[in-house]
Amino acid sequence: MKKIHFLYLAFSLILSSCLRLDSNLYNLSDKISEYKRDGFTGTQDFRLDASYDIPDSLVLPLTLKSHSVKENRDYSIRAFFIGHRARIATDTVIVYCHGNKWHMDFYWQRAKLLAHVGGKNRYGVLYMDYRGYGLSEGTPSEEGLYEDVDACLNWLKQEGLNNERLIMYGFSMGTSAATELSSKPRSLTPHKLILEAPFASAAVMAADGAGLDMPSSFFTNLKIDNAEEIKQVKQPLLWMHGVNDLFLGIKTHGEVVFKNHTGSYKEAHRIDGADHGEVPATWGFRNYTETLSTFITKP
Amino acid sequence: MNTTNPLKVLILGLILLQACAPTRVVKPLQKGEQQVSVHLGGPLLKFGGAPIPMPLSSVAYARGINDKITAFGSLHTTALLFGVIQTDIGICRELYSHPAGFGISVNPVLNIAVDTWEGNKKLWPELSLNAYQSLYQKKLLLYAGSSTWFELASKRAHGETQPNRALFHAQLGLQYQRKKFSYTLEGKYLGMGLPTQPNVVDYIGLQNKGALGIYLGLTRRF
Repeated sequence: MKKIHFLYLAFSLILSSCLRLDSNLYNLSDKISEYKRDGFTGTQDFRLDASYDIPDSLVLPLTLKSHSVKENRDYSIRAFFIGHRARIATDTVIVYCHGNKWHMDFYWQRAKLLAHVGGKNRYGVLYMDYRGYGLSEGTPSEEGLYEDVDACLNWLKQEGLNNERLIMYGFSMGTSAATELSSKPRSLTPHKLILEAPFASAAVMAADGAGLDMPSSFFTNLKIDNAEEIKQVKQPLLWMHGVNDLFLGIKTHGEVVFKNHTGSYKEAHRIDGADHGEVPATWGFRNYTETLSTFITKP
Repeated sequence: MNTTNPLKVLILGLILLQACAPTRVVKPLQKGEQQVSVHLGGPLLKFGGAPIPMPLSSVAYARGINDKITAFGSLHTTALLFGVIQTDIGICRELYSHPAGFGISVNPVLNIAVDTWEGNKKLWPELSLNAYQSLYQKKLLLYAGSSTWFELASKRAHGETQPNRALFHAQLGLQYQRKKFSYTLEGKYLGMGLPTQPNVVDYIGLQNKGALGIYLGLTRRF
């Protein structure tokens, strides 16, 4: 009987200390003490030439409070607004939700590229480091991701942005926040949605990795599920994905998300030869920015 | 793009849990004979540029029902740490044996996994076929064979068609047998012919197909 009790106790201890891989989702491996933007010399997907430079006067560093409902506390998160602050009340703003890697410096080139959609500094661009990323406080979480992006939307709203002039852009992991906040709006309702290399869901990642059908609950509690969330998105959608994406395959991830969108308008751009993160460079910066511009201005 | 990031190992413990064990029993035990085994190893993947085997572990128990049939069951301990109760239960049935030490065996197995978080369950039937040869006065047992996993679900997440209804593995192993203990080294080619790109995991396979795995085993007979 004692042996049974011991086995029961051992089994319970093991189960009560269950590991989850949720926190391992987030790639925070490159630590920084300051944002260097163009001075950042670490690995980047691409670097733009000097013609894409943005004067410092048009880069506004922001420190915003993001409230965690679950923890009932605020986190200080960092963001950059690129463009003319005074135009927020009258013109379009692109909110860029970056991918899983590192911090805003890694994505600075992308943000600059977006600041050239429709012409140099034609539209304002706001992007942020989610909690735990870059110099933002805290540790990442799925709900934290949404709260942090919404904190930025709230700031834009205070600056005078309205729903009709908000374009939501998500890349890779950032597509979860972009899709979630388009389907279940909080401070603002995005007018249009742009998804670059979205993942379908944790379940698809598991199934792709296993080769067999495997529930995602076997390894994570995350509920990130773009393939289902997108069904609730009625806003126009622009989807782009590298045909050679070896990380989030276009067939099992991107195509599923695109197919499940049931809104009034959607367009797809499958970029030959592009791996994950290579869409703008492989497509060509001019093609990329012109396509986005056309989508944004489309009535 | 350098896509090495923790996402690629989020599946470290579980995404290939179905392949986290070597062949449990190759040659049937004698009637009434028992053994307990500890297994460690898994498919090789690139992590930080270096090849590492997934450190998946399991414990198994086997008992000879008669001289030709051995029943076995296991508990996957790494999976358990992640809140997934997984076992493989099956038998090893001798199909042919020769006095010179050569034999052929078949293992029908049921792989069952249940997570303690949402109660999701999976059942994967498996069928293994092995040929073995005893060497050096039965001190060594060399074996080779194949195993096939069957996916019963025709659909996967989001109603998409399940592309693979069967996964084929090949194994080659060597057991060093002492009086009470034996030590096993097994190599596997997992998911033969199955493209491993695109994928969130950098498996080390052959021409981007399948994954090579290495497994170690320690067995105590009594």
